[in-house]
Amino acid sequence: MKGRSSLAYFFASPWIATFGIFWLFPLIFSLYLGFTDYRLLRPEFNWIGLDNFTRLLGDAAFLESLINTFIFVFGTIPLTTVIALLLALLIERGFPGRTLFRAGYFMPSVTSLVVVGLIFSHLFSRGGYIFLLARICGFDPPEYGFLLSSRTALYSIMAMDIWMSAGYYMLLFLAGLKAIPIELYEAAASSGAGKIRQFFHITLPLLKPVALFIIVINTIKSFQIFIEIFVMTRGRYGTSTAVYFIYETGLNRFEFGYASAAAYILFIIIALFSLVQFWLFRKGQIT
Amino acid sequence: MVLAAMVFPLFWMFRVSFLPLASDLGWTDLLSGKWDIGAYGDIMSSLGMMRYFFNSVLVGGIVVLGNILFCFMSGYAFSRYKFIGKNFWFYSMIGVLMIPAHVIIIPLYLMMRQTGLYDTYWALILPFLVNPMGIFLVRQYVDSLPRSMEEAARIDGASEFTILFKIIMPLCKPALAVLAIQTFLTNWNSFLYPFILTSSEAVRTLPVALALYQGHQAIDWPHLMAGSSLAVIPVLLVFLFFQKHIISGITAGALKQ
Repeated sequence: MKGRSSLAYFFASPWIATFGIFWLFPLIFSLYLGFTDYRLLRPEFNWIGLDNFTRLLGDAAFLESLINTFIFVFGTIPLTTVIALLLALLIERGFPGRTLFRAGYFMPSVTSLVVVGLIFSHLFSRGGYIFLLARICGFDPPEYGFLLSSRTALYSIMAMDIWMSAGYYMLLFLAGLKAIPIELYEAAASSGAGKIRQFFHITLPLLKPVALFIIVINTIKSFQIFIEIFVMTRGRYGTSTAVYFIYETGLNRFEFGYASAAAYILFIIIALFSLVQFWLFRKGQIT
Repeated sequence: MVLAAMVFPLFWMFRVSFLPLASDLGWTDLLSGKWDIGAYGDIMSSLGMMRYFFNSVLVGGIVVLGNILFCFMSGYAFSRYKFIGKNFWFYSMIGVLMIPAHVIIIPLYLMMRQTGLYDTYWALILPFLVNPMGIFLVRQYVDSLPRSMEEAARIDGASEFTILFKIIMPLCKPALAVLAIQTFLTNWNSFLYPFILTSSEAVRTLPVALALYQGHQAIDWPHLMAGSSLAVIPVLLVFLFFQKHIISGITAGALKQ
């Protein structure tokens, strides 16, 4: 059996090597960097304790990027989740051509984020149909397009993100809906419960685990928003987010230590949010 | 209505990519029925897009092959073997799924600089040859296979390698197909890592090229949308042909939790 254990290690070695070299080591290295002032111009590892972290708490650009990230996360997730659920319920009802609809809703989420960002850059600009529709509907869009104004840029990107990801979460809700035994509905109907009561007493409670999963992965993903920002505004017009700040300081200004400290702050925020969400849902399940 | 809102932006991209190059994108142009393939001619010949396309295909192909082989080997080990520290390595995969990419990009950038792999194909390939979701997928699939065939082969004196590659691997084809499709899609659309780990045009991938193309000159929509179409068409083809595989892969991951 000893020979088989080493053979197993050989089979598992690609993962073990990848994990050690490309995940565990960078993770620890990044933490260490956060306590140094390592940068391109002075590549020395000087331990400076918590200096980076205290500097970040007084850095207006960092705080603004954090606030934008929070606006993005709390603005998109409730809407995305509700729209995804509504789409799933719509498709679940079963009507002719539903597979076509399912494919159509899902398509944006397999498309490259860069391409989606480029298309919407055009749609939000003065020649794009979203801009023209807004004008026809009597709104007063910013003169040079939605992305070139700090009044609307961030919200426009949020709207695009909802458009893009709702179809993906719809699929997960659909899988959750399929897992609900149909007998439950039959039993409820025979005891006189209407469609609305069935929805609130059977569908919603049983979808809770899927909903938790969706909210948790969407939170982790949304806190890291970067590509849309880079492609559409380059962080201008009040759209800089936390990861954009990390990119800007770490890989444009090459302040590796300072950027790593910011990365860890965001990491801790994400981890805390995931934990709180798990805890809230578990509490809700017991009562 | 909803379907139109979801799909229309992609049609719009194709429409704009076929506009004459000098048009100002007013409604008159868009509704005029003027179709022109000038933008495609340019990206095929002079704008270097074919190079970026080739880079994306090359990196994607190697990463997909690597994932098929390595996720299969690792997934099999996690399904069938007992070994020291198995639980630790198993939880390492779940842990990695929780680590946000932004925490490791700066160290990764420095490591690639230090080792001289920065701005080479290797930087885009080596870290991505195996991934936890793929290992889970294979492990789950192998779990569902009966052990009788392996045991019979073992009694006949077949080596563990023969069993792995001649007996189990062909049986795992459905799982490996899902794995290959998902890996292709992720890799083809990948932006953050190639953007940070390369700088020269020789190894630039298509998404990075598109994101940067917009940056250094006045926005030139027909060319940009033609390049975008080039990036989207393979994905749409894969999506149309393998829709069932893609959806089953995603929902399997969700229900397992």
